[in-house]
Amino acid sequence: MPKAKVTVGFRDQLRTAEVELPEGEATPWDGKSDLKVVGKPITRRDGALRVSGKAKYTFDLQQPDMLYAAVVRSPLPAAKVRSIDFSAAEAMEGVRAVYAVAEPGADILFAGQDVAAVAATRPELAKLAARAVKVDYERRAFVTNTISAAKPDAPKVHRAAVQERRTEGDEPGTGGGAEAKGNVRPLRPMQKGDVEAGMKGGTVHEASYVTQVQTHSALETHGIIVRWDDDQHITAWSSTQSIFSVRDELAEVFNLKPANVRVHTDFLGGGFGAKFGASAPGSRLGTIAGELAKKTGAPVKLMCDRHEEQVCTGNRPDAHQDVRIAGTSDGSLTAIHVRSLGSAGIGTGAGVGRNAFAIYTKCPNVLVDSSDVFTNAGPGTAMRAPGHPQGAFALELALDELAVKLGVDPLAMRLKNDEHPVRRWQFEEGGKRFDWAAKRAESKKMREGKARIRRGVGVAASIWGDFGRPKAAVATCSVLRDGTVEIRNGVQDIGGGIPTVLAQIGAEVFGRSLDTISVKHGDSDFGSSVGSGGSQTTSSVTPAVRNACEAAKTQFIAHVADLLKAAPTDVVWGADGTLRAGGKSITFAQACKKIDGESITATASRPRTYGAHPVAFLGAGMPEIAGVQFAEVEVDTWTGVVKAKQILAMHDAGRIMNRLTCTSQVNGGVILGTSYALMEQRVMDHDVGRMLNPNLESYKICGAADVPKIEVELTDVFTGANNTGAAGIGEPSTIPTAAALACAVFDAVGEPVRRLPMTPSRVLAAMGLVPTKGIIG
Amino acid sequence: MASRNALTRRGLFRGIGSATVVAGCSGTAPTVDPSAPGTDAALSPGEIGPAASRLSFELNGKAVQVDVEPRTTLLDALRIDLDTTGPKKVCDRGACSACTVLVDGVQRNSCMMLAHDVEGRRVTTVEGLSPDGKLNVLQQKFVEYDALQCGFCTSGMLMSCTSLLQRAGGAPVSADEVTHAISGNLCRCGTYPNIVKAVVAASKEMA
Repeated sequence: MPKAKVTVGFRDQLRTAEVELPEGEATPWDGKSDLKVVGKPITRRDGALRVSGKAKYTFDLQQPDMLYAAVVRSPLPAAKVRSIDFSAAEAMEGVRAVYAVAEPGADILFAGQDVAAVAATRPELAKLAARAVKVDYERRAFVTNTISAAKPDAPKVHRAAVQERRTEGDEPGTGGGAEAKGNVRPLRPMQKGDVEAGMKGGTVHEASYVTQVQTHSALETHGIIVRWDDDQHITAWSSTQSIFSVRDELAEVFNLKPANVRVHTDFLGGGFGAKFGASAPGSRLGTIAGELAKKTGAPVKLMCDRHEEQVCTGNRPDAHQDVRIAGTSDGSLTAIHVRSLGSAGIGTGAGVGRNAFAIYTKCPNVLVDSSDVFTNAGPGTAMRAPGHPQGAFALELALDELAVKLGVDPLAMRLKNDEHPVRRWQFEEGGKRFDWAAKRAESKKMREGKARIRRGVGVAASIWGDFGRPKAAVATCSVLRDGTVEIRNGVQDIGGGIPTVLAQIGAEVFGRSLDTISVKHGDSDFGSSVGSGGSQTTSSVTPAVRNACEAAKTQFIAHVADLLKAAPTDVVWGADGTLRAGGKSITFAQACKKIDGESITATASRPRTYGAHPVAFLGAGMPEIAGVQFAEVEVDTWTGVVKAKQILAMHDAGRIMNRLTCTSQVNGGVILGTSYALMEQRVMDHDVGRMLNPNLESYKICGAADVPKIEVELTDVFTGANNTGAAGIGEPSTIPTAAALACAVFDAVGEPVRRLPMTPSRVLAAMGLVPTKGIIG
Repeated sequence: MASRNALTRRGLFRGIGSATVVAGCSGTAPTVDPSAPGTDAALSPGEIGPAASRLSFELNGKAVQVDVEPRTTLLDALRIDLDTTGPKKVCDRGACSACTVLVDGVQRNSCMMLAHDVEGRRVTTVEGLSPDGKLNVLQQKFVEYDALQCGFCTSGMLMSCTSLLQRAGGAPVSADEVTHAISGNLCRCGTYPNIVKAVVAASKEMA
């Protein structure tokens, strides 16, 4: 295997490392590469379509003779279906077919579960008909409160064995658990050293931290259009962040060859982890649309409405974390113990991420012990950095509480325990830029002066892995006779702007302008690709595209050498696009015109990750991604209202591919985290087992006026992991925000608010100004 | 006209998810065969429904005619009957403003209006901002400042900001004014800061 020397590291901490390159692999861009297009702030190539209403999302599409489906959902959180009567619905205007999702005898496990569906000529007629379907239920006992459900005498949520459901949105390496006892399913613990011994070696802080259920609330709801082209072929248009998982699920459900299912996602109105597969996590959308389309012989469109989106398409599970953390007077941590109960409703995966285990690595003794608790509520699923924001909140606030006890500055304490060189730089540099020491002194003064309006600052860290996947993405590059360089890959654009980045790769390799590069994506016929989950899209797809472009370029140079009657090695590619050899020259356009056939084409994929600099993620073969955020809040101690004033977000995403769109993603992570910290909460009525705010007016998400001032620092880190050096940013950028804000509130008021969201009543309760009892949640 | 303009969706529906559908706009029981479209002989002048009846209005500068039922929202008529899908259906109850359009130059949530409310009126959607295919300054600035990610809130944002710039009458707008103007528009990707920058820049360029 050929070896290559690459320059790895960041800023002034660069060094040479040797990596083994698989056969056919392009020489990696590294810390010494001077790139002209990659890394620059390039506007999105489909921007004009998106600002003119011309971009057609799945929700916008119509097919000739298309029918609209609506789903009958259980109003009860636990029941047995006795019977379903479609007679009234079938007789209604416009109704073309009905379908029983649940047969008589089926178990209902949450309010919102699929029971039946109808297809009609208009969406409003389908909704009316769905309401006319009469379902007879036998009610059963249920439990929706996580702590109540964990008790031995709680009603048992699942009557059958539970299958762990994982998607590409789940963090690789997590998952796995023991057999459930009652409703409690212990997850694989993360453990090192001896926690009890560590506790004896330091001052201990112990407290409980609670985070809420957050819903993804993508603006485009889940939905799909299924059309049977014949009895062996389906074409589907799906609002998905993983085209190929939609294809595979439809193929499996309808017993078709995957190649006979074609899936399109030209534009996608957000996903955030909930849009994998043809079904939503709590609703079999693909099956329903496919069955109704089969029955009627017409294309069927099934889009969730906002209520359905809130109750049955996934959520970020809650977490109840008991934290014990110990350290010595110099700020060294001696032990961290987190015990967590969380509920992903009827689903699995309520862990609390890697934060406690893998960030403050100098702490020798760590135990993170979490369990899924089943409740009669819609299934949780991966949501932007699954587990991490909840884990970060408990760990970082507990760390600050211990720091106060020890009389150590929280920033100094983090530097004392974190060994990651990039994160250490982010802490140090961010502390200077944020004016940390002066701000802490100022907030202390306001606290001691008992000012009504107080400011406070906090800092928290992010950990993620570069989960770029080998072999998953297959890209094709063609140099066409008209001079266009065409890149094909099936990948969908979740909003990160991947087509723009792929065009940048093509422009860089060929030295051509961006407007001569064509990118075809969002279609399963354009070559296999990854789902947009785990922050792995850019790191998985760009290296495959680069390999395809480099291979096509090599062929193109051979073609030019033929034309100029020279050896390929003698061909010089001028900056103006003119190709020269042996005193002769030809322009790129002329050389393209002389291509035999349609094009010069090469197809390639991405090999395994071959480097992990500067730090390997949990000792595995991929780099760890670092991030740190500083937060400043203003708290009105009379009303309890917290205002997020500013966030300084210091992030690493490997080599930054596009500084404009990458910064936008960080803005998004910060705003989502702010929303989680201060506003969002699924409110359940535990007496009736239903969500009380399944909408967007009482389920509060951040609006423009709620957003802090955001400053983003993106540091190029050269990892030697793949040939473009790309890593991910979507998830790392939302992990520390709520934690940093919670630490800042603690700094402002002097008391910790150990429960998210930090609503006014909780802030006042933490300050002892109102009783704790009676606070919702 | 006055009676039509007085129709509101809240007046007709008790709420989304309600099974109540008012059959005729006069508030009385239907007196016509609902299966006979366009027969409104039995209705008093100004009364329509329950069947689809002709609606005429100006959409993005062009006269359009379409048969819609009285219960159909402006948003559904635009999206389903007129294939004008720039306005997005996100909450369908006036909470997110993704469906914002201008009616006679005034910004409205098209999910909260009935289609027949725009009889004879002027409706502008995001598609109407660049009728000749060339992006206007505001649209250009949205692209330049990356004021969009997934793009699903973008149409509504652009219409709210268009309305702001119209109200400003050519004067530059401040970041606070933009924030206020889009405070009813929800975005989940986190584009707010770049939208504010884009609109401020557009207003300066247009001033």
